[in-house]
Amino acid sequence: MDNLYIAATATSPEVDFRFDQHSLLLRGESYPENAAAFYAPIIEQLRQYLAESVGAVITVDVVLTYFNSSSTKMLFSVFDALDEAAQSGSRVLMNWYRDEEDETIAEFGEELKADFHAIEFTDRPVAHQGQ
Amino acid sequence: MSQLLDQDSAFFDLAQRRNVLFYHKGYFSHNIVAAMGEVVKLQLEIAGVSGPTRRKLFSSFVELSQNIVHYSSDSLQPGNDGGGSIREGAVCITTDGESHLMMCVNPIAAEDVEGLRNKLEPLRSMSVEEIKQAYKVTLRADTPEESKGAGLGFLTMARDASAPLEFAFHPRADEPGTTLFCLKAII
Repeated sequence: MDNLYIAATATSPEVDFRFDQHSLLLRGESYPENAAAFYAPIIEQLRQYLAESVGAVITVDVVLTYFNSSSTKMLFSVFDALDEAAQSGSRVLMNWYRDEEDETIAEFGEELKADFHAIEFTDRPVAHQGQ
Repeated sequence: MSQLLDQDSAFFDLAQRRNVLFYHKGYFSHNIVAAMGEVVKLQLEIAGVSGPTRRKLFSSFVELSQNIVHYSSDSLQPGNDGGGSIREGAVCITTDGESHLMMCVNPIAAEDVEGLRNKLEPLRSMSVEEIKQAYKVTLRADTPEESKGAGLGFLTMARDASAPLEFAFHPRADEPGTTLFCLKAII
């Protein structure tokens, strides 16, 4: 299937899903006007890819610096799809990039780890860029 | 020049005395919120607010502003359900010593007052741990049908605040069906 690329905007993240390389990236800030409308088609394509690639080793890089409450809910669905794939024979290696000072994003990462045991989760705190 | 300034100086004096970092009253659309978000980020950075506090303030700002876009009862384009909402309200960020105050005001339908009160009142008596627990439960629950967001917005604000959220409802004498909803978060 075709790769999925959506350029970042001020309020929505870059989505770079290179299905042919089993490499998925989400990067930026996420507070679109309608998070469900933004994420639903992404989740649909992701699920289709995951169903077609059982047994793959999938790398997921998440570099989100901010997500609002409704995006948080949709991201949970993204990770749920990945966890199901990891339970069904694929490996999902997730790199959770975050500013080392950002407690909120660190705590959300902890939530993901608590719920989605099949995902191989790596916390990647990034040293704060001094001004 | 000086004459021009004299006329309005009371407003600017007050804004300065109250350490207003940001204030907007008027219409809110998604694009306006995005643009204001840039202003708020910059103002907080210039004011020397620490990174973690900046993130919490920005998060509360987005939740409050998107609430106005989605839920204020004063819509510029009534009956427009196809997205692109533009609704009226006000948001203000001030500094008070070490803490920051974020306030918003927007009109709501009087019939929605009880529902909103029932969502907010329980949060006031919850500890930080209880708020985090409720956040976790809501994160995993199905989204309420009337909610355009995730029902997580107030919990997100309560989690980021350093004191219980304060709120009030002021019925409008000139419009009996409308109540002004005020919400204040201390961060």
